[in-house]
Amino acid sequence: MIKRISVLLVVLLVFGTFTLSAGGNKEAAADGKVQITFTSWRTEDIERMNRINAVFMEKNPNIEVLFQPINDNEYDAQMRAGLETGTGADIIFLRSYDTGRIVYDGGSIYELNKDLPNLEGFPSAAVKAWSTEDGKIYAVPSVGVTHGVYYHKDIFDKYGLKEPETWDEFIAVAQTLKDNGEVVFAQGALDDWTSYEVVFSGLGPNFYGGEESRQKLITGEMKLTDKPFLDAFRAVDQLQQFFPKGYEALDYVSMQTMFGTGQAAMFMGGSWELGILEDLGSTDLGWFAPPVKEKGDTLQYCFHVDAGIALNKNSEHLPEALEYIKWVSSPEYAQLLMNELPGFFSYTPGDYPLTNAIAKEMIGAASDAVLTVRTVWEKMSAQSPSGNALMGEALQKMWKDEFTPEEAASFVQDGLATWYKPFMK
Amino acid sequence: MTGNKAGKVKPFMVFFLLPSILIYTGFLLLPILDSMRLSFYSGSGLIPDKFVGFDNYVKLFTRFPFKNRMLNAFSNNIKFFFIVTLIQNIFGFFIAFFVTRKIIGKGFFRKISFLPTTLSVLVVGFLFKLILNPVWGIFDKMLAAVGLDELIRPWLGDPLTALPVLAIVVSWQFMGESVLFYTAGIDAIPEEVTEAALIDGATPLQELWYIILPSILPIIGIVTILIFIGDFTQFDIVYAMSTTMANPAYGTDLFGSLFYRTAFSTPVRGGWGMGMGAAVSTVMFVIVFTGVMVWLYFFKLKEKKND
Amino acid sequence: MTKHIFKRRFTNTILFAFLSLYAVSILYPIILMFLTSFKTTREIFTNPFGLPASFEFTSYIKLLTVSNYLTYFRNSIFVTIISLGTIIVITSTASFVLAKYNFKWKNFLYLFFVAGMIIPIRLGTISILKLMIGMHANDTLFSVIIVGIAVGIPFGIFILTDFIKMIPEELSAAARIDGCSEPAIFRIVVIPLLRPALAAVAIINYIPIWNDFWFPLVFLKSDSVKTVPLATALLFGQYQTNYALVFAVLSMASIPVMLFYIIFSKYFVQGLSSGALKG
Repeated sequence: MIKRISVLLVVLLVFGTFTLSAGGNKEAAADGKVQITFTSWRTEDIERMNRINAVFMEKNPNIEVLFQPINDNEYDAQMRAGLETGTGADIIFLRSYDTGRIVYDGGSIYELNKDLPNLEGFPSAAVKAWSTEDGKIYAVPSVGVTHGVYYHKDIFDKYGLKEPETWDEFIAVAQTLKDNGEVVFAQGALDDWTSYEVVFSGLGPNFYGGEESRQKLITGEMKLTDKPFLDAFRAVDQLQQFFPKGYEALDYVSMQTMFGTGQAAMFMGGSWELGILEDLGSTDLGWFAPPVKEKGDTLQYCFHVDAGIALNKNSEHLPEALEYIKWVSSPEYAQLLMNELPGFFSYTPGDYPLTNAIAKEMIGAASDAVLTVRTVWEKMSAQSPSGNALMGEALQKMWKDEFTPEEAASFVQDGLATWYKPFMK
Repeated sequence: MTGNKAGKVKPFMVFFLLPSILIYTGFLLLPILDSMRLSFYSGSGLIPDKFVGFDNYVKLFTRFPFKNRMLNAFSNNIKFFFIVTLIQNIFGFFIAFFVTRKIIGKGFFRKISFLPTTLSVLVVGFLFKLILNPVWGIFDKMLAAVGLDELIRPWLGDPLTALPVLAIVVSWQFMGESVLFYTAGIDAIPEEVTEAALIDGATPLQELWYIILPSILPIIGIVTILIFIGDFTQFDIVYAMSTTMANPAYGTDLFGSLFYRTAFSTPVRGGWGMGMGAAVSTVMFVIVFTGVMVWLYFFKLKEKKND
Repeated sequence: MTKHIFKRRFTNTILFAFLSLYAVSILYPIILMFLTSFKTTREIFTNPFGLPASFEFTSYIKLLTVSNYLTYFRNSIFVTIISLGTIIVITSTASFVLAKYNFKWKNFLYLFFVAGMIIPIRLGTISILKLMIGMHANDTLFSVIIVGIAVGIPFGIFILTDFIKMIPEELSAAARIDGCSEPAIFRIVVIPLLRPALAAVAIINYIPIWNDFWFPLVFLKSDSVKTVPLATALLFGQYQTNYALVFAVLSMASIPVMLFYIIFSKYFVQGLSSGALKG
């Protein structure tokens, strides 16, 4: 028996070493191609990104682009560790403002001003999210995302419901659905980031006064415990009564699957989920922008600067990677991206026909709205405890009735006041 | 066991010992000491480089949210350890007792009990996360099928149930280890002893209490200390079932997940920087070390006295 | 007397029923995992409990074609074999010296090694990461292998030293008279007798090394060096809405260890129990 084990082990050893030497080596692209790796936090997009990259590879037959994303929760830490240790990918997704800035300050990101002069033509609000005070641009502002409410037209039609414009109409719609025994929202409270990044940041600005109030929050002129922000907390809290049974244990993916397979009438989600929801078989998908407070109010629309694409300064294949990142900032990439990933809106200047009707609605809503980004993202999430983490926890607890809206607001305010200078006074 | 040429260290002996000494020291012992050193440093980079004295500890023990997270992880870990120890020891012991009786298929039961232990904690965690999903998880459907709808809860979303559920899953997985150890202990009891007892008319219960239990007492100690060390560094199960954010709202946070999140995540995802991470791991070391010392005192020293 | 036997049969039946229930609680989730991986996503929702209508291998085929699963598998095999092989070689030589010779620091050295069994290596992660960066070994299989070896050393020395002590001194003495050098005694006399213990050491270390998730998560980034557990986490995130595929991912990660256990369960039990009884 022992003999058999040893033989087996030896065989496996030989097999293992052999196959490893055959394929494990990153540089050993047999056909002389240069491989560049591209990492992001979008593990859902591997197949779509591969299709986009195929277009580039066809034009540049000497370059092979490998798209290797990392799970969202671990992404930033892993990507940073990779860059700082010289093992990182060549092309990287970079989050906007401080989270991306920290990476740039780490010293391994290539400055793009010289090689990509076309970046100056990008919307300045987007460029600002990935550049320093003295104008050094360290990532191609790639995509922005919006937030709103998805619904199933079939279910709305069944009860003769219309897309609500105001918050009161929104609540009335939810109430009608609830009274008729429908599952109103496919919404859960398990993954705390969705409650803040999607629901509060998406639906809240109409209550707290959008971009203007957000700027005042940054400077410390306003607090999260001020009435406008409290109203946003209260509004978000009001939605809890329409959540499905077991919402406390419903994670992000289950929410998507639940709504995508038609088991709930509405879903407060991000534009980036459009493709996933369609893949899940939703054919009667509808969408409306975050309802305003009073009729006639201007929509305060969270159009978040989501992803920039940056270049690793220490890349072993800098010229090729540069070639690729130039392509990424081109209208061709923008068009491909928006077709493959409906709901991701490119910042590359140009006029792009959108094939997806809902994506069109999402971008259309921006035309007469005041745009803003996620509430405590800029500056307030640079250190621990970060605004992001505090908001997530506060909202999660609020939806489980451990916190009142007032307690939730002061929890975040007090948490930030431990380090955020403008709040410390 | 006496060596042939006492006292003299020959070159081949050095050669034989050196690889183990080097790897063990270089990649296990020194890193742990060095991590403790790093807990006195701070810095935004991958490796903390600014000496800050006891700052990290002051933060960790006095300030929001650091103190709260640590105390939360500590109390969660104690509960977790308590549940796992109870289940694994009691169930494990009885199952081991049963499979050492004359029962049909005992070999099969012995074998099967260890099967989950061979799987990775990650796979088991993911599997049970799917089984407990509130929308299409099998578990709730099973409860409904047998008319126990009343019991259905948001298992992984309610702070009251989430932690015990994780503890039960871990116990389910590692039950095989306790069964195996206890079975080995019971099998090692000389047959004459049990036979003599049976001839004297001892009931199975008496046999259990007077013969089996005393002789496997040291094994209870080993099982418990293994659970202790494993649980206070447990990470995989939290990662798989509750993500690194230890949902719901840190309700399932254990020291292992706290350590990972603080050290290796960005502030946006609840990270505190590597220096703070090193401080957390040092606290963990103190806890594990204390636990092991207590165990040595109670089980090992007592054993010596009894000898 | 007959009454006695009857009573015993009765209790044994109850015990059997209890154990059967326990076996079901173990097997059902595992079987469910395998069965579900053969279903279509629709079937998973409509018929969660039953057998799949037909065994669909689509999920497995997709898994093998869209991901580099064979690479992950190969990496895991490589890491496991190199780690186990090294552990066996270096701990058996060290144990031989510790068991058969007397020298000044012997007892200290033995305790020094064995103490490692209760030191969780994870607590040194930050420093090991630092070390790997310094050695330019971050993101290579070497990083995971060397850590696996370091963890395996204490237990290997613990088991093997005891075992070598039990080998009668007369055998070595006889070899010595025949003119064997000390290293030759190790090779010719000790190794052949040590095989069962070596198998035990290898088998005990196999599970934690194959299943390790923590260190790969911290060290490995490139797709070409990912191991099976790390890939499982990635693929789980990637295909979460495709339930059949997710179950296939979990099944694929479990099959190698379960097969290994079923074939070598005898050695698992022997190896682990010997550890328990001596500890």
